[in-house]
Amino acid sequence: MSDSLWNIQCVWKRYYVAFLKSLPYYLLTTFLEPIFYLLAFGIGVGTLVGNIHTQGRILSYRSFVFSGIIAQTLLFQGFFEGGFGGFVRMYYQKIFQAIAITPVTLSEVLWGELLWDATKATVAAEVVGMIGVIAGHFYLESLITLIPVCFLGGMLFSAMGLASAGYSRTIDELSYPQYLLVFPMFLFCGVFYPIGNLPRILQYIAWIFPLTAVNSLVRTLTLGLPFQFMAMGIMLAWTVIFVWIARYSMIQRLVK
Amino acid sequence: MSQSPLTVIHLSKHYQNKKKSLIVEAVSDISFQVYSGECFGLLGPNGAGKSTSIQCITGFFPPTSGQVLIEGYDVHRQPRQARTRLGVCNQEETLDTDFNVIDQLILHASYYRIAKREAYQRSQKLLEQFGLMQYIQANVETLSGGMKRRLQVARALVSNPSVLVLDEPTTGLDPDVRRMLWDVLVAARQKGVAILLSTHYMEEAQRLCDRIAILHLGKILDIDSPDRLISKHIIREMVEEEVRPGVIWKRKPNLEDVYLKLTGSRLGIEGL
Repeated sequence: MSDSLWNIQCVWKRYYVAFLKSLPYYLLTTFLEPIFYLLAFGIGVGTLVGNIHTQGRILSYRSFVFSGIIAQTLLFQGFFEGGFGGFVRMYYQKIFQAIAITPVTLSEVLWGELLWDATKATVAAEVVGMIGVIAGHFYLESLITLIPVCFLGGMLFSAMGLASAGYSRTIDELSYPQYLLVFPMFLFCGVFYPIGNLPRILQYIAWIFPLTAVNSLVRTLTLGLPFQFMAMGIMLAWTVIFVWIARYSMIQRLVK
Repeated sequence: MSQSPLTVIHLSKHYQNKKKSLIVEAVSDISFQVYSGECFGLLGPNGAGKSTSIQCITGFFPPTSGQVLIEGYDVHRQPRQARTRLGVCNQEETLDTDFNVIDQLILHASYYRIAKREAYQRSQKLLEQFGLMQYIQANVETLSGGMKRRLQVARALVSNPSVLVLDEPTTGLDPDVRRMLWDVLVAARQKGVAILLSTHYMEEAQRLCDRIAILHLGKILDIDSPDRLISKHIIREMVEEEVRPGVIWKRKPNLEDVYLKLTGSRLGIEGL
């Protein structure tokens, strides 16, 4: 293993050990929240809606919303861990600064942070997927094919969070991306209804935001909806862009 | 004191203001060496450039120009090799609050690729030395300020560094904790560690440091042993100091007098 990869796994392991130390707290925040959404929208709203038409297919609303909550879990877990978690670790705990004066460089610390955040988001999303399998909405093998999409999606939203942390002067300022970016995506990017139901102009706008692309890929893998090449391109492009911004903003902020 | 584990060569760090119209010379062409078993002090008030110098020397900030060598490795071009030999205690508290006292040290050792068993043994020794054994399983948040600082210095030593850099390690500490840290630094120096210490406490610098660089507005004004700095710059055997209006004490000159003398022309203080 190269020195850099070793150092990155050291940082990842630090997060993993910290996760295990506070397991009850993390179990609550990581898994309970998506399960609440599943219950509220899958069981609650799902009973009212019945079947829906999307991309030439008829699906049960419950299946549709279960797969949407996989993508929503990636968004919330990734953004809040990278954003609020990243801000606390950078500003209050000064963990980045403490590690970056050892043989582990700041660049490696930030990669470790992003990889851990993506891992955590992937695990949370897979738990939602597993519930979907148990409830009979998805096939078990779809959970395996989902892993790379979840990991990239988790990385994308973690990087969005970490970039926000890098540019926020105070922890309160993270409310701007939270309310202007995360919540609109949550409501308008196809988690709860097909974006084809929106006016055409809003559909174009929805495709600019990365959650629409992640939703589309997750639904292709879990529900067998047609693969949209554009979704893959948009997700990869946003991942590269946000990872770059996250690293740039943090390095600019910490290294004078 | 023949080897030089830490060499700083013509180090400068300049900043531009936001409009890029003004260049601030935070550190300006400083050079010095710190030898094995030597404690070298960077002495100056707040704003003299001590912390910026330390951040450049530890490789966290890139310098505008110049070079820092740790055991021959350039800290900016070969950070891994250089920092493997370096222990740092930052001025601000950077303890990892997600870990208890002993795990804190073992975790830090893992970044230096020190095996867990070895790290555990070293950590226990350090906690004994720093009087923290009874808090071995304590959460970092529950420690007092003095204990946290001791733990942070212990953490800097867990990798057995050949160069130890401490940025204002005793600021805000009680006198007894300060003395305990001084004892630990003396012990580390006796083991051959090269220590770079930044401080604005004249007494600390005079007592601990073999040599001192007097830093003012980013420039080193002089480097020498405390005694020689005093004898070189303060000719009088006793100096007079007005401690209260009309009450004048006579005392032996100290580093504070040297500092005032060296920077006095700018401050308008004469007569020492």
